[in-house]
Amino acid sequence: MSVDSPDKVIDRSAKLVFSFFLSSAGLWLLTAALLAYVAAAKLTDPFFLSTYEFLTYGKIKVAQANAFVYGWGGNAIFAVSIWILARLSQAEVRGSVFIVFAGVIWNLAITFGLLGIMDGHMSGHEMLEMPTEVWPAMLISYLIITFLVLVIHRSRQVRETIAPQWFILAALLWFPALFLIAWNGLEINPARGTLQTVLSMWYGQSLVWLWLTPVALGAAYYLIPAILGRTIDKYYLAIFGFWCIAALAPWSVVHHLEGGPVPMWIPAIGTVMSIAMVFPIAVASTNFHATAFMDIGKVWDSLPLRFVIFGTLSYTVSSYIGVVFSLPAVAKITQFTIINEFHFNQRVYGFFSMIIFGAVYFALPRITGKEIPKAAKSFHFWTSTLGVLMLLLAYLIGGLTHGVLAGQPSLPWASSVIQSIQPYFLITKFAFIILAFSQFVFVVNVWRVIFPNPFAFFAADDKEASA
Amino acid sequence: MNNLAKFTIGIFLTLGMAWLAFVVGARSQFGDLVPTSEVLEDDGSVPVDAELFPTSLSGMAKQGAEEYAALGCVTCHTQQVRRVEAGFDVERGWGKRPSAPRDYVLQEHVLLGNSRIGPDLANVGLREHSDNWLHQHLFEPQSIFPSSLCPPSPFLYQQIDEPVKSDIEIVSNENADGNRFVRPTVRANRLVSYLQELKQDYELPEVSFVEVEEDVIEEEVVSTDISVVSTGAPKWLQDQIDTGKEIYMKAAPGGGMCFTCHQQNGQGLAGQFPPLAGSDWVLGDKERLIKISMYGLMGEIEVNGVKYNNVMAPPGIPPGSLTDEQIASVLTYIRNDWGNSASAVSAEEVATVRESLKGRAPMQMFTAAELTTPVQ
Repeated sequence: MSVDSPDKVIDRSAKLVFSFFLSSAGLWLLTAALLAYVAAAKLTDPFFLSTYEFLTYGKIKVAQANAFVYGWGGNAIFAVSIWILARLSQAEVRGSVFIVFAGVIWNLAITFGLLGIMDGHMSGHEMLEMPTEVWPAMLISYLIITFLVLVIHRSRQVRETIAPQWFILAALLWFPALFLIAWNGLEINPARGTLQTVLSMWYGQSLVWLWLTPVALGAAYYLIPAILGRTIDKYYLAIFGFWCIAALAPWSVVHHLEGGPVPMWIPAIGTVMSIAMVFPIAVASTNFHATAFMDIGKVWDSLPLRFVIFGTLSYTVSSYIGVVFSLPAVAKITQFTIINEFHFNQRVYGFFSMIIFGAVYFALPRITGKEIPKAAKSFHFWTSTLGVLMLLLAYLIGGLTHGVLAGQPSLPWASSVIQSIQPYFLITKFAFIILAFSQFVFVVNVWRVIFPNPFAFFAADDKEASA
Repeated sequence: MNNLAKFTIGIFLTLGMAWLAFVVGARSQFGDLVPTSEVLEDDGSVPVDAELFPTSLSGMAKQGAEEYAALGCVTCHTQQVRRVEAGFDVERGWGKRPSAPRDYVLQEHVLLGNSRIGPDLANVGLREHSDNWLHQHLFEPQSIFPSSLCPPSPFLYQQIDEPVKSDIEIVSNENADGNRFVRPTVRANRLVSYLQELKQDYELPEVSFVEVEEDVIEEEVVSTDISVVSTGAPKWLQDQIDTGKEIYMKAAPGGGMCFTCHQQNGQGLAGQFPPLAGSDWVLGDKERLIKISMYGLMGEIEVNGVKYNNVMAPPGIPPGSLTDEQIASVLTYIRNDWGNSASAVSAEEVATVRESLKGRAPMQMFTAAELTTPVQ
């Protein structure tokens, strides 16, 4: 064991938690994919499974978003951030048992939360629909994990921190703060009237901007130089980009309330700050793409990097589109349309998930010592790309159609406006089938490496350690 | 950046500023709104004995709000009428005025929503739907709006084989085995009373009703509530008008799809399709109208002094397939809605005109000139 490189020792210390979070993340990903299919199928045929109350569209749609963000997103964030921070700190992961224990609680809390939603205990708060009973379990288990991650970071060998660490640490710390603010404002000292909506919308959108997004950006800042073997181009801009996101993103997310029953300054600030977001977007985009395009052949050859660059390109495009759609003149048309679905899926599939896939394909062989067949990864990449592009195009074009037709008061609602966007729902249904298939391939790829022989997982671990 | 404590303080400060604005600031600005009267005294006080708005929901409606939240209705329905400059909501007839923060202060669940696959429901209680209509819609939205995507909720109802008077008849538009009867559960009744109480039909000191042009339709007109708009017309005439309206609005075989060009409000589209409301053609000679309804019309036509140049395919799906009775009904309808009032057209009159045009090739459209010059 003394001959192992430090990286190898760290990887081995991260193996248990990484495998645990990744395999749970995979299960949540498949759950979300199944729910997404059911929801999409219900929009093409409202009678599909309509006699089961727990499968009614409103519940399934919400359950899907929660399974995706907290189940897949949360577990993937834990797995990827623990490994990247351990690598960058050159410190071993300690307290794996506690992390896994907390992870089990986290997953149980979400499971009960989703069952609660389907059983009719949904709260109406955006991205906090899970019944309040599971919130304490989520928060406590999250805090345990975060605490142990911070312990890894505190025991780092090099004092200087770099971009991936800022983004990942900030995301890990922002989540409990957001969660507590929302919990306090919605349940402990509930605000009255539309203040509730301001808060829950701020929470729901911030979750994507301050939790999922920074982790994915941090992973990209780590993976691109690590795989290409070159430094980030114009790295000195990264710190500016980071603080821009930290300072602007919490303000920019409320522009969805444009025209609604809230004081006008709230959406107005949101719009101004959304426009200002072009700076951090430009920074991240420059950092990533200037670096990647110096060696584009290598990007293409390395599947993990191909996933990451797909994600960063998607981030750039979606964020700029988001800026355009936040302009009041455009928001007038696109607000409340299925463009919202475009934004959400662009961010969670096209950007966050793709980068996580890349990070997993990069980390997993190093942690387990087993390579994933290139064809399987490649298949996953192409099916994901096809599914994501189909989904996003359908939502984008469908959303514009939706908005333009809805804006003509003489067109009847169901028989004209909604009927003309139905073909797009059909496309999204097929896209979700492709994505489900692609995610199944991902999970199989991962599980085959983590559990080559499911019953000998721990035994193999011991043997390796003693060898 | 290297000191974790300082870094943490930094990122919490940036988050904290937004929190100060959106949570603390917003709460101090409008967290203490209370119901008030429609008009205030000059000194800003609430007049004595004035009725206060908003009023709180009834007990049953409050329980209905719980059901509404639990079923996830908010996923597809908003409950907010946007300001006039920010959207089309008032024009679409979704409310008499934009919603204000004060409207929501008494609601336990504020379900503004942010997606509209279904229409806005802030004022669904103002749309004069009967309870039965809402029940039928909840049970099976597609029996009212065939293309609706709203999920049916049969689990809120009991299907009844031997109906009593209070049971609800589900009028199917295509179900051949006839109509079904359902009995609402208590949950369905709660939901309906909640929906009926959703209305912002009062003015507030900060927001008053918006004047909307008359020709804007209030809501989707559907076959089941046509009987509600009944005027003093004799039954046979009313029946003919009702059938005619269905044909006018129907975009499926057996329908005329007229509304796609002439619009639901009969106003046509400026510069493209002539209006039917108040049209000298519609209110004029019946024979010309019958001819157009059989064969269509092309080329330039002058309606109420305005020239249009377009093609009107023979109405019907497939084109030209309307029967004598259907043509009679739809013509009677367009001559008696939107303020029009002219004599009815009978199937016999249509048959006579059809007979006179026996030699004419099918689908050979008329021109306005042909119709206005006297027949040889």
